[in-house]
Amino acid sequence: MSEFRVTLSPALGGRAAVSRKGISVEAQPEGTLLHLLVDPTMGDAVRLAADLMAAGLELRPLTTGQWFAVGDTALAHADLAALSATLKPQADIVDQSHGRVRIIVKGKMAARVLSKGTAVDLDIAVFPVGHATTTLFGHISAHVTRIGEDAFELIVLRGFAESLWDELAQMSLEFS
Amino acid sequence: MASLVTCPHCGKRPKEEFTVKGAALTRPAVDAAQDVWFDYVYLRDNPRGAYQEYWHHTSGCRRWLVVTRDTATHEIFQCHDAAERGEVTA
Amino acid sequence: MTPYRLSSGGLIDRSSPLSFSFDGQRLNGFVGDSLASALLANGRLLVGRSFKYHRPRGILTAGAAEPNALMTIGRDGRTEPNTRATMQELYQGLEAKSQNCWPSLDFDIGSVNGLLSPFLSAGFYYKTFMWPAGLWERFYEPVIRRAAGLGKATYQADPDGYEKIWAHCDLLVVGAGATGLAAALAAGRAGAKVILADEHSRAGGGLLSETAAVSGNSASDFLAQTLAELASLPNVTIMPRTTVFGWYDGNVFGAVERVQKHVEIPATHLPVERMWRIAAKQALLATGAEERPLVFGGNDIPGVMLAGAMRSYLNRYGVAPGRRVAIVTNNDSAYALAGDLEKAGIVPVAIIDGRADARIEGYTGKARMIRGGYVSDAHGGKALSSISIWQNGHTEKLDVDALAMSGGFSPIIHLACHRGGKPQWSDEKSAFMAPDGLNGLALAGACAGIDGLAACLEDGAAKGLALAAVLGFDGHAPTLPEISGDIVNAAPAAFKIIPGVRGKAFVDYQNDVHRKDLGLAVREGYGHVELAKRYTTSGMATDQGKLSNVNAIAILAEARGISPAQVGTTTFRPFYTPVSFGALTGVSHGKHFQPVRKSPLHDWAKKNGATFVETGLWYRSAWFQRSGETGWRESVDREVKNARINAGLCDVSMLGKIEITGKDAAEFLNRVYCNAFLKLPVGKARYGLMLREDGMIYDDGTTSRLEENRYFMTTTTAYAAGVMNHLEFCAQALWPDLDVRLASVTDQWAQMAIVGPKARTILERIVDADISNEAFPFLGAAEVSLFGGQVHGRLFRISFSGELAYELAVPASYGEAVADAFMEAGSAHGIQPYGVEALSVLRIEKGHVTHNEINGTVVPSDLGFGKMVSASKADFIGKRMLAREGLHSSERLQLVGVVPIDPATSFRSGSHILAKGAEATLENDQGYVTSSCYSPHVGSAIGLALVRRGPERHGEEVMIWNGLRGEFTPGRLVSPVFFDPTNEKLHI
Repeated sequence: MSEFRVTLSPALGGRAAVSRKGISVEAQPEGTLLHLLVDPTMGDAVRLAADLMAAGLELRPLTTGQWFAVGDTALAHADLAALSATLKPQADIVDQSHGRVRIIVKGKMAARVLSKGTAVDLDIAVFPVGHATTTLFGHISAHVTRIGEDAFELIVLRGFAESLWDELAQMSLEFS
Repeated sequence: MASLVTCPHCGKRPKEEFTVKGAALTRPAVDAAQDVWFDYVYLRDNPRGAYQEYWHHTSGCRRWLVVTRDTATHEIFQCHDAAERGEVTA
Repeated sequence: MTPYRLSSGGLIDRSSPLSFSFDGQRLNGFVGDSLASALLANGRLLVGRSFKYHRPRGILTAGAAEPNALMTIGRDGRTEPNTRATMQELYQGLEAKSQNCWPSLDFDIGSVNGLLSPFLSAGFYYKTFMWPAGLWERFYEPVIRRAAGLGKATYQADPDGYEKIWAHCDLLVVGAGATGLAAALAAGRAGAKVILADEHSRAGGGLLSETAAVSGNSASDFLAQTLAELASLPNVTIMPRTTVFGWYDGNVFGAVERVQKHVEIPATHLPVERMWRIAAKQALLATGAEERPLVFGGNDIPGVMLAGAMRSYLNRYGVAPGRRVAIVTNNDSAYALAGDLEKAGIVPVAIIDGRADARIEGYTGKARMIRGGYVSDAHGGKALSSISIWQNGHTEKLDVDALAMSGGFSPIIHLACHRGGKPQWSDEKSAFMAPDGLNGLALAGACAGIDGLAACLEDGAAKGLALAAVLGFDGHAPTLPEISGDIVNAAPAAFKIIPGVRGKAFVDYQNDVHRKDLGLAVREGYGHVELAKRYTTSGMATDQGKLSNVNAIAILAEARGISPAQVGTTTFRPFYTPVSFGALTGVSHGKHFQPVRKSPLHDWAKKNGATFVETGLWYRSAWFQRSGETGWRESVDREVKNARINAGLCDVSMLGKIEITGKDAAEFLNRVYCNAFLKLPVGKARYGLMLREDGMIYDDGTTSRLEENRYFMTTTTAYAAGVMNHLEFCAQALWPDLDVRLASVTDQWAQMAIVGPKARTILERIVDADISNEAFPFLGAAEVSLFGGQVHGRLFRISFSGELAYELAVPASYGEAVADAFMEAGSAHGIQPYGVEALSVLRIEKGHVTHNEINGTVVPSDLGFGKMVSASKADFIGKRMLAREGLHSSERLQLVGVVPIDPATSFRSGSHILAKGAEATLENDQGYVTSSCYSPHVGSAIGLALVRRGPERHGEEVMIWNGLRGEFTPGRLVSPVFFDPTNEKLHI
């Protein structure tokens, strides 16, 4: 055994949730975030979904032939290798669990606050629960999924996580 | 101010989400005549009216699109995924 | 006499007084007042000085077109010049100052310009200041700059916040007057998502000043009822204090909401202004019409006011204009004012109507009527005292203290013309109308040339319904209320040049352009509307000719003997009214100016004493200062020496990292790199050069084969985003038939370079695998476990420094812990962190290139990479154009090292190379230094340079010339590899 004990330093580790009237911003614990690159000739999400659900992961559409699979707990290295083998040859897994940060924005004012960053119409009639897309929030690109009537999950590059967090805190100031 | 571009994958998005590469020309065969390659690499039309360009939805789906737009009115006539040659989706 | 407040009437709250100041004088108003109405109520007629002649000016309008009453509001960082008093809501403590006067509004030295006016006619800039040219910079320009301009901006920082936001709707209605309200209600009832925006503090538009009855009730009751219903519809949003300032591509509208411009101390959690981008499926302009002034002498004297504005002050604000009021008009609308004045007990002393046959239905007042007459001149200094009335060649003088004028109406069509459409002159309406065939935008009510309350309500409802129907929302036509007591313009006013004018007759108040200036422009050959605008400045400045354009065009038409249609108009562009820089900036300033990108090793670097440098959006550690070190060079020299003697640890997480999978990944790499990649074995890294299609090098980096169909590519930090875009272009647009899948993993990995003779010894305590030279030779690449399997990462034996070196990538959140472990494991071996400065010195010593050398002008052979280019590959990006003859010339600038002859001297990057003894001219230029540094290894400055035939000239003495600074350093061209030229260290 090694003499070193490693500890995690998550990107938004020190950030307490922002909580205001009708809006909260909360960093998710570093769990699992897999980037699925699907064989263009045989790929669709349906066939992957069962295997991923078994691993405790949820699918988020990303772009043509690509999905994110997210979960709140970290997969062990061996489990990841096993899942990777299961999905072959249909999909290649690229682990992005540390490369992306998940932020939950929720509350009655969530859509209004996010509208300060994105041109995407977040009206529930056109952006229903489960719908996902990637868009610019201010100057930062992020993936957004509606996970509830008044709840959104943002997935952002780790390096930009602090900046996006600061932007969201600023955008929600109106409701303090 | 933002012009909206209808991405065939993402819907209407402001132009800030895109990167424009320039004329959507077909890459010549490697053994094509030098003139053909000079045209491809350096020579551009500058039409008033419809113009086809490669646009990348950089801050969105990261797909390369072929956008046909009017250089005078900014109207966008067509926008389709560059991998689906010629197929119009918007 | 002056204006005064009536004891009753109006929509002001007399029980809520407000105190404010104007030029330091304390005054009182009421809640519901505008700054303009409050000034009038206090008897302030004189509120500013004009731009050129410094003439006394009063309040002319009650809205956005106000050209005279421009004031500076607030103080310190909140100072806002050029605020229209007519648009500014009064608030407790408001401080307003007049502009364009010195030393005071009442005694203004600049008014002497009025006496000099013969020299200040149209085009005076061009005529007066032609000669001598030398005086321009020293005299004319400073004098003009001081005299011209309106208010002064503050130099203090704005303490308030601004923000931007997007909105989406089915129907945007611009203007919440009768027309807009009817439209919003009809569409809202049908179920459409409606935004109703209005620039004023409260919705209502003309209804707020209306005395006609609606269904037997007052207009304000009708308004309250309508607003209540709109508020009850969840799909309708009413946005008061919001100016829609532009119509843009994609039916996006720009609007600015003044959230807190009506309070003394803004709340800190709210912005003062909010910029909206409204994406509307359909839009309806219900922007109304602007009343035009009449062009007679002295039409700018305080006390002369537009008739509709006077009616607003009377009915909405309870302010009477004076005791002896005259009205001059060329249309019926002004009779509504006459009726309202009489109800308030002020019988107009005269109504002068230019139409000899004027018969107004609905007006039964007692005022004296002068038909077929004009006011030719108004008289007075700082306040109106009398008018001259011209009728059939006779002139009569009449004492008055207020004069209302109406020269007809111009539909407010600005937004409809923002996307290139030209206004169309209508003889029938005597006005410019919106162009036909607009897509996604319609006009209703007065801005469509419709007059009268009933017709506007009907038109608004019909258009609102029609637009909702286009979007699939079906509604029912509402029952329209009955209107009584409204005076409707029977016919629009035709423009006529007023006879008998003696004084200055202003066309453009804000720019002091009078009638004769336009005539002069025509006579001097500047009669074209675009030329006349520049020559006379008519239609410029903050009001952009809202009041003046039609009169100016009519005068030009008259002078040229053509119709206004032939004169045409200048181009309408956003913004409709001025928009603050704050609103356009939003939150993007200070800390939020641009995003910051932080390495997962940022905190590790910080606690080890890093000084950071911004490179693109990244914060990179530049060097790690130790106590006692006085300058950055001292730290960098130490870091470099230590890496060559012991070991150094450097954060290279910012390198672009791309994972490439798919059955055709190898073929793909083979096509995007100019060197061969098909046969790269699993477990190996290879240096790759990417070219552009023109054959020049685009980027470089290493790519490792982790599995049969899985590669890990690194790019330079600067080109990381560009390379990813480029690869996606190749995969999607050029070769969509290849199975290649790309994922950016830059942020997934904390990557560190462990460099130096002790690197392996230290690394052995971190990774579990055997990393002996035999087991893991140079260019090895492998997935490894760390600390007995606690972490899994990727190890690459690659070297940018020329030393025995590795790069270890670990999942980002483990980065800090692993870097800490390195420092601990290496402490006995002298490990030290180093930054990008030392990294740069190490690579220059080794002759490795970066984008300093890969500057868009070099092909592989220019950097000594000629042999890397595959001759056998069928195709790769850049192959065809790289074959061009000129790219293989031996005369090209090629990579070489350079050192000073005297080691005590140095030189800068960017310096040029001259042959020894050659004159310092561009003709003799042989190339230039691309990178330079002090090399602890060599013991002097060293550099890399691109020099003509460089590789053939090792040993040659040259002159290093910095023409900008006049520096000359004798130097010598040498091999670009200063350190370990035989690469022994890489393989130990």
